Amino acid sequence: MVWVSSRWKIALMLAPALALFTAFFVYPVGYAIAYSFTNSAGFGGAKFVGIDNYTALLDDPFFWQSLRNTVVILVVSLVILIPSSFALALLLRRRIAFAGGLRALVFGPAIIAPILVGLMWVFILDPKIGLLNRLLEPLGVGPIQWIGGNSLTPYSVSLVFVWSSIGFAMTIFYAGLQLVPNDVIEAAKLDGATSWQQLRHVTIPMMRETFAIVTVLLITNVFKIFELVYMLTGGGPVHRSETLVSYMYFVTFTNQRYGSGMAIAVVIFVLGALTSLAYLAAARRRSLA
Amino acid sequence: MFGRKFTGRRQRLAGVVLAVSSLVALAACSSATDAQSKDGKTTITLSMQNPNVKTADPATWAIVKAFEKANPDIHVEVSGQAVAEHLQALSIAAQSDTLPDVFWVYKATAEDMLKAGKLMNLKPTLDDLGITPHLPKSTVSNFTAQDKIYGVPYQGLLTGLWVNKKILSDNGLEQPTTFDDLVNVAKKLKSKGIVTISDGANQSSFSVWSFLVWLDRFGFEDKIDAILDGSESYDNADFVRMYEHIAQLRDAGAFASNVSTQTYQQAVDQYLKGKAAMLDAGVWASSAIQDSQVAADTVFWNGATFADGVGDQNIVMNVASAPLVVDHKVAGNSKKLAAVKKFLGFYYSDAAQQLLVDNGQPPVTDYEPKIDATKQSVLKSALDVARDPKLASPQSQPDLLVSTAVSSAMYDSIYGVIQDQLSPRQAVDLVQKALDAE
Repeated sequence: MVWVSSRWKIALMLAPALALFTAFFVYPVGYAIAYSFTNSAGFGGAKFVGIDNYTALLDDPFFWQSLRNTVVILVVSLVILIPSSFALALLLRRRIAFAGGLRALVFGPAIIAPILVGLMWVFILDPKIGLLNRLLEPLGVGPIQWIGGNSLTPYSVSLVFVWSSIGFAMTIFYAGLQLVPNDVIEAAKLDGATSWQQLRHVTIPMMRETFAIVTVLLITNVFKIFELVYMLTGGGPVHRSETLVSYMYFVTFTNQRYGSGMAIAVVIFVLGALTSLAYLAAARRRSLA
Repeated sequence: MFGRKFTGRRQRLAGVVLAVSSLVALAACSSATDAQSKDGKTTITLSMQNPNVKTADPATWAIVKAFEKANPDIHVEVSGQAVAEHLQALSIAAQSDTLPDVFWVYKATAEDMLKAGKLMNLKPTLDDLGITPHLPKSTVSNFTAQDKIYGVPYQGLLTGLWVNKKILSDNGLEQPTTFDDLVNVAKKLKSKGIVTISDGANQSSFSVWSFLVWLDRFGFEDKIDAILDGSESYDNADFVRMYEHIAQLRDAGAFASNVSTQTYQQAVDQYLKGKAAMLDAGVWASSAIQDSQVAADTVFWNGATFADGVGDQNIVMNVASAPLVVDHKVAGNSKKLAAVKKFLGFYYSDAAQQLLVDNGQPPVTDYEPKIDATKQSVLKSALDVARDPKLASPQSQPDLLVSTAVSSAMYDSIYGVIQDQLSPRQAVDLVQKALDAE
C-alpha cells in the first residue's frame, strides 16, 4: 500500500498546478502591480513614481467616465440579464415543441466572438446606416444616436452584452433547475402551493448557489468588456463610451503609458474582485439567515 | 521485470528524443531569423502598420518584391498589423529585445526606443550609400536625435482634402479657397443632404489630417518649441480661434451624423461612392480614388486659408511620414547589416521611388517621377499641388512633433469639437493637460 497523504507527496502533486498558477496568474498580476508604480513606456528603463499613476487617475475625467459607463453596464445587465435568463430557463424547461432547438438558438450568441457581435450590432445601431433607425424612420421617430452619442451608448452596449450573454446564463440556470429535486416540488404542490409560490419559496431558494455563480460570472465579464466597445464606437466620441478595459487599452497601447495603464488594470482587478466578493458575502449572509 | 525495465528505458529514450527534437526545432527557428535560412538566403524582417501589406500598402509590397528579384540571396519577411496592434507588438518586442530588423514606428516612439538603445544609428549607412543628400533636409533633421539618424522616411505625407468637383458644380458651387467659402459650401450641401467632409473617428481618431494643416495655418510651427518647453501654452488665442472655426464648420453641417461611429475606411467609401463632396485624407488614398467612379471628378486641395490665421496661409502639408527604423542588433550581425544596407539602398533608389509613384505615393527623395497623366490623374493632381512654387510646406506634421499621448490628445481635441463633445476652450485645455502630464 502506498500512502499519498504525506505532506511532501501532496506538495509534489500540487507543484505543477502551483507552478502554472504562479507563471500565468501570480506573476502577471504582480508584474502589473509593480509596473503601476513606474513611468514605464513599455521598454527601456522604468522609473519608480510612487502612487503618481493612481493619483493622476483621480484627476482624469476619461477614467471616471469609463468607470461610470462600466457601472451603468453592470447595473443594466444585472437588472435585465439575471431575471430574463432565469425566465428563459424556466420556459425552456417546460415540455414545449422544439425546446432543444430553442435552447440552442438562445445559446447561439454566446458562441459568437465578441468582436463579431460588435461588428454585427454596428450595422443595427449606427445612427446613420443602422437597421434600427431605418425601421423607426417610417414611424416618424427621428434618427436616434444609439451609439456614438453622449447618453445612450453605455445602455446600448449593455443591451448588446445582454444579448450576447443571455444564452450562457440561461444554460447555467437550466442546469441548476435540473438539480432541483422533483419530490420537493411535488410536496409543495400537494400542500397547495401555486406555481408562483413554488417558484418563489422552493425553486429560487434552492438555486441560490446558481444565482451566485451567474451573478459573479456576470460581474467579472462586465469588468472585461472590451471588444464590444472597440467595434461599436472605438471608445468615442472622445472617450465618452469607454469602459474601464477599453480605456486601459487606450492608455497602455495607444498612448504607450504602460505605468498608467497598469494602474488602471490594477483598479479593474480590485474592483472586479471586491464586487464579486461583496456579492458572495451578501449571498452567504442571506442563506445563513 | 524485464518488460518493465525495457518499457522504462524506452520511455526515457522517447523523452530524450522529444527534448532533443524540441531544442533542435527551437534552434532551427531562431537561426532562421537570426542569420541565414536553410536555402542559404539571408532573411531580414520588415514589420509594417498594415494588416495586409500586399493589399493595403502595395507600394511597399512592390518595392520588397522588386528588391528580392534584384537580390535573390536576400529574403524579406514582411509582416503587418493594424497600427495599435503593431505598436503593442513592438513594445513587447522591445522589452524582450526581439524587434524586427526593419520596422515602421511613430517618430515619438522611435525617439523613446533610441533613448533605450534599441535602434541602430543609420547615419554611417546613409552616408555610405549616399542617400542623405537626396532626402529633404527637414526630413533628416526630423529623424535626428542625439546626433544619430534613427529613421528614414517610409512614405510621403501629402495630406489635405480630395474634392469631388462634380458634386460642387451640380449644386452650383465652386471649389472653395477660403474658410468662409468652405462654410458656405457646407451650408449649401447640408441643405441638400450631402456630406461636405467625409471623416471617420471610430478606431481611427488620427484621421484628422486636413485639420492638422489648420494648426500650421494658426502658427503651430512657430509655437511648438515654446509649447514643448513650457514657455507657451497650447491654450492660446490663436489655437482657440482655430478650434472655433472647426465648430463653425460643424455647425454649418459639414460632417456626417455618424462621424463618431464610422471608421476611416467607411469615410473613404462614402467619398468613393459619391456621397461626400470632400475626403479628409492624403495621397495614399489616390489609388483607391483612381479606381473608383469619382476619379475623373476628383482634385486635390491643400485646404482653406484663413483671414484671421497666423503666418503663411499658402502651405501644403508635404512632409515625411513616420519613419522606418532598424533594430540595434542588426549592426552586430554582418550578414543582416549587409542585407539591410542593400535594402535601404534599393528603397531610396530611383527605381524604387518610381515604384512608389506607380502605386500612388509621392517619392520621398528628390527623384522626378514619371506620371501617366491619364491613368494617374488623381495622384498627378496632388503632386501638382505639392510642386506648386507658390506653396511652402511645413517641416513636419504637427502630431509627429509631440509624444504619442499628446498627439492622441490633439486628435481627440479635433474630433471632440467636430462631434460637439468639446468646446474650443475645452479642446485646447485637453491638449495642454496632456502636455502638462509629460
